Amino acid sequence: MHRFVRPQLMLRDSKQPLLPRAGHLCTNHKSVVSSVRGYVVLPPTSDEEEKAMLHRMMRVDHAGEYGANRIYAGQMAVLGRTQISPLIQEMWDQEKQHLRKFNEILAENRVRPTLLLPLWNIAGFALGAGSALLGKEGAMACTVAVEESISEHYNSQIRTLMEKDPEKYTELLQLIKEFRDDEMEHHDTGLEHDAESVPGYQLMKAIIQVGCKAAIYISERL
Amino acid sequence: MIFGIKEKSIILTNFDVLFAIATNIHVRLKTGFVLQVAVQGTVSLQCSNVRRGFHRAALLRLASDSKSDTSVPPPSYHEVHTAGESSSSSAQGESSEDAQPNTSFQDQSGEHGEDYETEEQLQARILTAALEFVPQHGWTVEAIAAAAETLGLSSASTGMFNNGAGDLVLHFVAQCNAQLAETLAEQNNQVQLGQAEAKKTAEFLKDAVETRLRMLIPYIDTWPQAMSILLLPHNIPDSLKHLSTMVDDIWYYAGDRSTDVNWYTRRAALTGIYNTTELVMVQDSSPDFEETWAFLDNRIKDVVNMANTAKQVQATGEAVVQGLMGAAITVTTQKMIQFPERNILSTKRLLGLLF
Repeated sequence: MHRFVRPQLMLRDSKQPLLPRAGHLCTNHKSVVSSVRGYVVLPPTSDEEEKAMLHRMMRVDHAGEYGANRIYAGQMAVLGRTQISPLIQEMWDQEKQHLRKFNEILAENRVRPTLLLPLWNIAGFALGAGSALLGKEGAMACTVAVEESISEHYNSQIRTLMEKDPEKYTELLQLIKEFRDDEMEHHDTGLEHDAESVPGYQLMKAIIQVGCKAAIYISERL
Repeated sequence: MIFGIKEKSIILTNFDVLFAIATNIHVRLKTGFVLQVAVQGTVSLQCSNVRRGFHRAALLRLASDSKSDTSVPPPSYHEVHTAGESSSSSAQGESSEDAQPNTSFQDQSGEHGEDYETEEQLQARILTAALEFVPQHGWTVEAIAAAAETLGLSSASTGMFNNGAGDLVLHFVAQCNAQLAETLAEQNNQVQLGQAEAKKTAEFLKDAVETRLRMLIPYIDTWPQAMSILLLPHNIPDSLKHLSTMVDDIWYYAGDRSTDVNWYTRRAALTGIYNTTELVMVQDSSPDFEETWAFLDNRIKDVVNMANTAKQVQATGEAVVQGLMGAAITVTTQKMIQFPERNILSTKRLLGLLF
């Protein structure tokens, strides 16, 4: 019997009411840069420290989605012709969508991407391909480990923003919560598909999660 | 002396009373200067100015009493100069600023101030004035001292500038970059509004760098001195920051929205172009720096060529790899057909990975 151990998380279904997507602009800020959809994700601010913090958050999130993208690419490269491939493809498409959104945010707000992107490119692909060589269970285990790390990371970002000023960061919080929910879904999917039956599951999971934490730490600073 | 909020009940018609009250108001401002109000004349405009000033004094009193850190600005007092001369209060005035009431600005809280100047603004004014003396004195403290004297301050005001000539050069660089950003934003607006054609990237970069370098022309004779000041170790962080902001601005308005390693390669390339062109410019003696602009043009062409070549190499490489893979698969399949007893399935699977 498998024991499902879910990490402590915030509520999956956020009780916050969804904001109307179009036409909602922060009225207490001077100038607004809006995307095509008419609302801004990062509140415009003139405080240098706050801007630096927001940029750092977006930088590391972008790096994370980029890495996740490459991990799924690696998994598809190995398992692309097996039965599990439609599932991995679906999860990969969701990650691509996340990456696209972060690319948009970075471009709009002139955020510098992390210097280590080529490294995450190679490392992510290698991790995905390597775990997939252990078979479908290996790939699922890798997914579980990575998605758990990413969810924890998003949760800590949500906590930080809530502590500061939930009102001001409403759109950003909404976005991160949405992405966090997607990642949790991937995590659960991985568990459903026999992630834990790979030999050395705990060890593999621990190693991958340490790697993810290190990657997040470096990407925040570089 | 504490004012209540009911300052409306104060009858501000008796200027002698006002004067007595005013001299009793000492307000410690953030900069530590102690300024007093000089009240003079019978102009009702001044009266309303002073009235506003008292309002702010009262609010400040209350604000400081309640220790709130809100948006009440420090009251702004200064010697109010009108067309006439200053009154006897100038004997008491310890105003250290020769401020004119035309500095309309927004202080740190965003509220419209009472012609009050912060120390940063004063420093900016002195440094801007000092630029006129640079051709004569070079990028030195003497230029700043000369400027301070023209503004009516003592030449000892240079003590305000801990970095001396470095402050002057960095101020000039920041000013030029701000001007450039403004120009680029304006051009961008024009393009957005459809009033102007969008330039191609190479041309845009060339024009932007040329615009920026042309701002050096009035100071070109002394610019090597400024460059060496910027290279001093304690100035390097600031000068690098200015340089990187400028390059980022130029690429942003050129339309770069990349979020991968190209972000870095493009900015590095443009930094290289800018620095080398600057070096060429300081020793260029051709009329209107034609050689410099020709050099700039060639460098930008080089970068564009390299980018195109890189793309071609990548495309060719990919095609070659595909071809090799196809050949390998064909060979292994043939071998499998010819020699069924040999197990080359694993090789085929391995090669199949890379499709």
